[in-house]
Amino acid sequence: MKKGDIILCSAICVFSALLALLFLTFKNNGKTLIVKVDNKPLYEYSLGTDREIELEHNTAVIKDGEVYMLEADCKNQICVRTGKISKRGECIVCLPNRVILEIK
Amino acid sequence: MPSEQGNSRDKVKRLAVWALLTSVCLIVGYIESIVNLFFIAPGVKLGLANSVACALVLKDDVKGAVAVNLSRILISALLFGSPVSLMFALSGGTVSVTAMILLKKCRHLSVLGISGAGGVLHNIAQCAVGIVFIGIGIIYYLPILLLSGVVCGVAVGFLAKLILKRIEKSGKYV
Repeated sequence: MKKGDIILCSAICVFSALLALLFLTFKNNGKTLIVKVDNKPLYEYSLGTDREIELEHNTAVIKDGEVYMLEADCKNQICVRTGKISKRGECIVCLPNRVILEIK
Repeated sequence: MPSEQGNSRDKVKRLAVWALLTSVCLIVGYIESIVNLFFIAPGVKLGLANSVACALVLKDDVKGAVAVNLSRILISALLFGSPVSLMFALSGGTVSVTAMILLKKCRHLSVLGISGAGGVLHNIAQCAVGIVFIGIGIIYYLPILLLSGVVCGVAVGFLAKLILKRIEKSGKYV
């Protein structure tokens, strides 16, 4: 092990950490929420305006550009516990009620 | 013509050793494909077969390193792979071996640094191929690839060093 090895390896580690940080901050924030039921897109909402979306079994909320599931009448509550989503491609799934909230 | 005879005997010996090393690479690569490291990140592999190429580079056997590596990649693609996986393996293999040959000339680096850099460049090359074949989205995977490239590269370099030590002790040729 020489000094050059340590410098080289730590430089690459630092660079990859910086790159990861850069990618995370620039990961695209989504603009619209698509609500799918039975895998069919039913509604589209802009993330710009805050609102509550009442569905048959679920209640979703858009607030400050983020989406989360407020309520679900199912047993496992996985969708509620998923938390907030805001980046493009992220989604919240409620399998028992076949509801998908997807950011685009 | 004793000298010429000795020369050709050396050549045959070297050819045999290269062939032997190629088969070792293939077996190691196959074992590695069974024991995968998917729990760290999908697609991450130690690349143990590269330690052979690395050891050959360190032995200043540039010809051997290139020959063994290329034949390993081609044969393993024929045995286990697909045209796309061949593209990935070929890009990674050629770039990393070329880089290691060039870095060998740098006095400030030891085995570990050379191999680590080789690992990183291997992954960068594969990432570039991934962008061409799959899409620009792969670039988000680059930080993980860089980091794992360094770690795996250093591990492979360490292994190459061990191998060389053993070979030198036994006094047999590589």
